[in-house]
Amino acid sequence: MLDIITNMLSMCIPFSVALLLASLGEMFNQRAGVFNLGCEGVMAMGAFVGMLIPFLAGQGGAVAPVYNVLGFVSAALLGVLFGLFFGVITVTFRAPQGIAGIGLQMFGVGTAGTLFRHFVGGTQSIPGISDIDIPLLSKIPFIGDVFFSHNIVAYLAYILVPVAWYILFKTYWGLKVRAVGTNPRAADSMGINVTRTRYEALALGGALAGLAGAYLSIAQAKMFSDTLISGRGFIAVALVYFGHWHPVQIMGGALLFTFAQTFQTVVQSMGISFPYELAVMLPYVLVIVVLSFTSRNQTTAPTALGKPFNREIRT
Amino acid sequence: MKKLLVLSLVLILPFMAFAQGSGESAAADDGTIRIALIIENTIDDKGWCQSMHDGITQAIAEMPDKKIEYSYAEKMLPVDAGSIARQYVAQGYDLIIAHGAQYKNLVLEMAEEYPNVSFAFGTSSEIGPANVFTYMPESEETGYINGIIAGTDTTADIVGLVGPVDSGDAARYNRGFVLGVQSVNPDAKILVAHTGSFSDYVKSSEVATSQLGNGADILTGSSQQAIGALRATAESPTAMWVGQDLAQLTTEEGKAKCIAASAYNYAAVVKELVEKIENGTLGGECIPMNFANGGFVFDYNPDLKAEWVSPELEAKINETIESFKADPDGTLADWASVDYSTL
Repeated sequence: MLDIITNMLSMCIPFSVALLLASLGEMFNQRAGVFNLGCEGVMAMGAFVGMLIPFLAGQGGAVAPVYNVLGFVSAALLGVLFGLFFGVITVTFRAPQGIAGIGLQMFGVGTAGTLFRHFVGGTQSIPGISDIDIPLLSKIPFIGDVFFSHNIVAYLAYILVPVAWYILFKTYWGLKVRAVGTNPRAADSMGINVTRTRYEALALGGALAGLAGAYLSIAQAKMFSDTLISGRGFIAVALVYFGHWHPVQIMGGALLFTFAQTFQTVVQSMGISFPYELAVMLPYVLVIVVLSFTSRNQTTAPTALGKPFNREIRT
Repeated sequence: MKKLLVLSLVLILPFMAFAQGSGESAAADDGTIRIALIIENTIDDKGWCQSMHDGITQAIAEMPDKKIEYSYAEKMLPVDAGSIARQYVAQGYDLIIAHGAQYKNLVLEMAEEYPNVSFAFGTSSEIGPANVFTYMPESEETGYINGIIAGTDTTADIVGLVGPVDSGDAARYNRGFVLGVQSVNPDAKILVAHTGSFSDYVKSSEVATSQLGNGADILTGSSQQAIGALRATAESPTAMWVGQDLAQLTTEEGKAKCIAASAYNYAAVVKELVEKIENGTLGGECIPMNFANGGFVFDYNPDLKAEWVSPELEAKINETIESFKADPDGTLADWASVDYSTL
């Protein structure tokens, strides 16, 4: 039984990374007052570009690690472009954010699939990046497997949680982001450039969403397909609400959701007489239940979330 | 505003007329048989959709004396497929294959609307209207064969099964696999888990990783999502894979990890459909697929066969396939009797 629990917990960290990265990015978006439902599309593009570079370099075979790094960097840069593009639509042109986000999602998923067919063809895999056993620490029973035998990006993603907290709550830029997401008019009157700050937050959010997609294609599935993201971008958006726009709580949400995923897999594999359809639904039901119980706690919600800012119009 | 409306109508009306069709098939009268395929994924997904596409192209190649035109539409969700299906009817296609049980309602609706056009969908064992064929792979047979390999080659006595959903041919394959394992290794523990999706590659890789972590050393899976599980298996230095599509043998990880694979040979189904349509039968039948009628093919990985398939195992597999061929009614593998909760 201990082996089963160890195995279950050891999967939580690597399998939660894509959700964690995407939801941290979405947190910056929403803290600045913009919710980006197009996260799924940005992740799809990130996954495609992230896989494309090592694939072209090695034609599916082994490649130097630098190509994987290039894949991640390219995915992040593409995410920045998508974030800025979303900013043009929602910040500059003040289009409804929900509709624009759905459009971006369709655009990203469709474009990634089309480019994939053109440049790669059918379903192909890449060697990707492998797990690293941290010397000594990985040998510790239970703890070693759970915490110290994962790929390098998983560690970096979790280091990003305190970094995101520090940026958001301890830096002047983080203060600006929170200000434009809470009361943009007051921020504007204090000399903060609301438009520019929202663009910056969207660029950062896009970069993290791109990285999340690349993590799926380079580090987790090690392949790309049109359906690779399969709704994880929307789950990331939900996790931001789940985590009350706070990096640590978002991390907790990502881990809890992933734990529920692995738990239901183990429940099925153990042959417990339980309808698998319900087991598959379990993580999603969990998110809904927790959201339902915590929705009254809106004190941390950015009050200007979803509201375009126009300094010429007094509201 | 009026000008804009008129202009819009002028542009849209021809498309609407084209999309709705004439209600009558404009079938070519030069003897050409036109086949259209509608699929939810792509023709190169190394799984469900590719196997039908490959089957059609193979059937065309094997019938050089017939004039056959073939077209396909990829990425068609059931809600979108009606438009393309009507376009195919308007263009005079004789046989429209909607490859997936999810298209059932669409096919039945279209069949009523266009009684002179033949439609086919599967997997389904239902007998449809007079112009609807169904096809049903009796895939418990291929599952059984793969199960024999897994049950024989496992050293941990733990095998993993990554299922998409527990219905249709996937349920038959999975349960056939269980029976195959139990036939040669009754003590083996069989880990069964479903992803709830045919195309969530990431989730299938997660399920496979979970099963590998719980000691499984031979895994299998079906549908296009199985590629994700195969990819996860390739990460293990010791675990191996038995496949449900020959295309898996051609992937990099398949070459290294896939001991053998079986596949649906849709060419046999397509050839039968063409012959029936030529003879004036447009539907009303279910075409089974099994080893007896050539609906399945099975092959080994030449690079792994010597190491993983002993002469005794190969003899057992050959004997089982022959017994399936001698029993076209499929009574040897009672797949419906398998209860996962007892494993």
